[in-house]
Amino acid sequence: MKYAAIFSVALVGLMITGCGHDKKQPKDVYMPDMAYSRAVETYSSTENLKEQGIFYNATPVSGTVKRGELLPFPYAKDKDGDTTNYIASKQVANPLPALSKEQSVEAERLYLVNCGVCHGQKMDGNGPLYKDGKGPYTAAPRNLMTDPVVVNMPEGQMFYSITYGKNAMGGYGTQLSTTQRWMLVHFIKEKQKPAPAAPAATDSAAKK
Amino acid sequence: MSELRTIAQRIALSVILLSFLSFANEAAAQDGKALFKANCAACHNIAKDATGPALKDVESRWPSKQLLVTWIKNWNKAVATGDAYAVKIKEWNPGVAMSVFENLSDKDVDAILAYIKTETDALNAAPTTVPGGPGGKTEESDNSLLYGVLTLILAVVSLIMLQVNANLRKLADDKDGVPAAEPIPFYRNKSYITLMTIVLFVIAGYFLSQWAIGMGRQKGYQPDQPIFYSHKVHAGTNQINCLYCHGGAYEGKHANIPSVNVCMNCHNNIKEYGGEKLYKEDGTEVNGTEELKKLFAAAGWDPAQNKYVGQGKPIEWVKIHNLPDHVYFNHSQHTKAGKVQCQTCHGEINKMDEVYQFSELSMGWCVNCHRESKVDFNDEKGGGNKFYSIYEKYHKEIKEKKRDSVTVSDIGGLECQKCHY
Repeated sequence: MKYAAIFSVALVGLMITGCGHDKKQPKDVYMPDMAYSRAVETYSSTENLKEQGIFYNATPVSGTVKRGELLPFPYAKDKDGDTTNYIASKQVANPLPALSKEQSVEAERLYLVNCGVCHGQKMDGNGPLYKDGKGPYTAAPRNLMTDPVVVNMPEGQMFYSITYGKNAMGGYGTQLSTTQRWMLVHFIKEKQKPAPAAPAATDSAAKK
Repeated sequence: MSELRTIAQRIALSVILLSFLSFANEAAAQDGKALFKANCAACHNIAKDATGPALKDVESRWPSKQLLVTWIKNWNKAVATGDAYAVKIKEWNPGVAMSVFENLSDKDVDAILAYIKTETDALNAAPTTVPGGPGGKTEESDNSLLYGVLTLILAVVSLIMLQVNANLRKLADDKDGVPAAEPIPFYRNKSYITLMTIVLFVIAGYFLSQWAIGMGRQKGYQPDQPIFYSHKVHAGTNQINCLYCHGGAYEGKHANIPSVNVCMNCHNNIKEYGGEKLYKEDGTEVNGTEELKKLFAAAGWDPAQNKYVGQGKPIEWVKIHNLPDHVYFNHSQHTKAGKVQCQTCHGEINKMDEVYQFSELSMGWCVNCHRESKVDFNDEKGGGNKFYSIYEKYHKEIKEKKRDSVTVSDIGGLECQKCHY
């Protein structure tokens, strides 16, 4: 009788620990040293490395370029209120040759992921974040297809704006590689060109 | 009769005139909207402050409409008049000066102001209509309680039946004159003890094995994060692509937690939360604007001045999905090469206010998917992954119609050292 009582109490205890789990806390693991790495991994704290005499500053050595990457943009970000480099960047030409078909598909993907949310899928400056002023974003994004400022903007200056940001737009230098940004410039310029098929059609219609 | 006719004519005329007038009015407002979007909207919003101040009630703020029109066309001239308000508003956003709009005619400016006025009226008419409160949480139907109650009832019934059976036997024995045996209490009854022992072993064994299997599996883990960041608002309502913030998922091993500067790409403009009300899992309401202030503190950004003023520091988000050290997992291998959608493993993140672990992330779960998932082998149409061209045997078998598809396990997806090395 006594043993049965002890046994059932133990059982109930086990059931409680087994079922009533707080989902805010992680469950126990078999080998914590394996489950939670002791090695320094991505997002490990690097705060006390210096105290241990370890040098680490997480930035590439200055002047180095990633393998396979284009040379970096020659102009730094302007200080507040200054536009020297913004204007100077007009002179920089796009180092990439015109996009191939596959590259164009990739550039469109990059556009939809990074730009489309504000500038719109159709580049009409009306993405889901703005929605004719009904979205949370208070500034109207540029209409990349028709706005004369963007249509007439030299490629180098467009690259500057994508990299460092302009007006309300933030900079994308940290999210997109140099190659990806030049691809986007190509892609947007390509889209802005008037479709070659349309004038031909009107010509033939006029002849008739 | 003729009198009636003239009256009818007059009414018809006035109706036409009125409708024409109202159309003209609407056309002006329409023009105003187009002009506003083309010229003003990049910096101004009607309801909220942006690069420039909010424009609702702008006419009533200015001392005279004439001065406002002057300001809009060339603000320098308005400041030159020495008007106190014009001088004050020049300093509204010290870093950025308003553009000059000499190309706009007085009529254009009027149309824009008319549009702003109609929008202001619309705003004032419905100042605080919160679109529908939170939908009542639907109770999830859970059958386990029902089954439990049923089991209990059956157990009680069977106990009663056993007791009744014993009583009846005793009665029968009394009638037949068989001397009643000394009654044995149930806890010393061998069959009772055996039954109880077996039942206890089964129950204990079930829970013990469940607990042992579940140890280290974190399905459903939903920790509190330092900032109430709602994926539902960002990825759901506002349709921001997962890769906007977690771009690493397509490029490499880690999906990456975005650094604060990625948040600030949009939040240097979006300074307050104006969407549907937010609730934590336990039902407490969350003030989105207060949560945004935590972000601004981490970024060292002052929303009042639109400037970075302090030292930024990273936000320490709590990691949810964790694989042990002895497992290798690469995001890009799955999303880019395998074309697996984020939601397949992470669940409907775009509907979660607070993220929880959707999948088991156990080895059985991985292996099962590797057995079932087909790789992009479609070389007939030329769309397949070129890497797989080295699997000549499978291509031959597909051509000979011996197999219709190739799964991940067929190309070595179950090899131990694919993931453990």
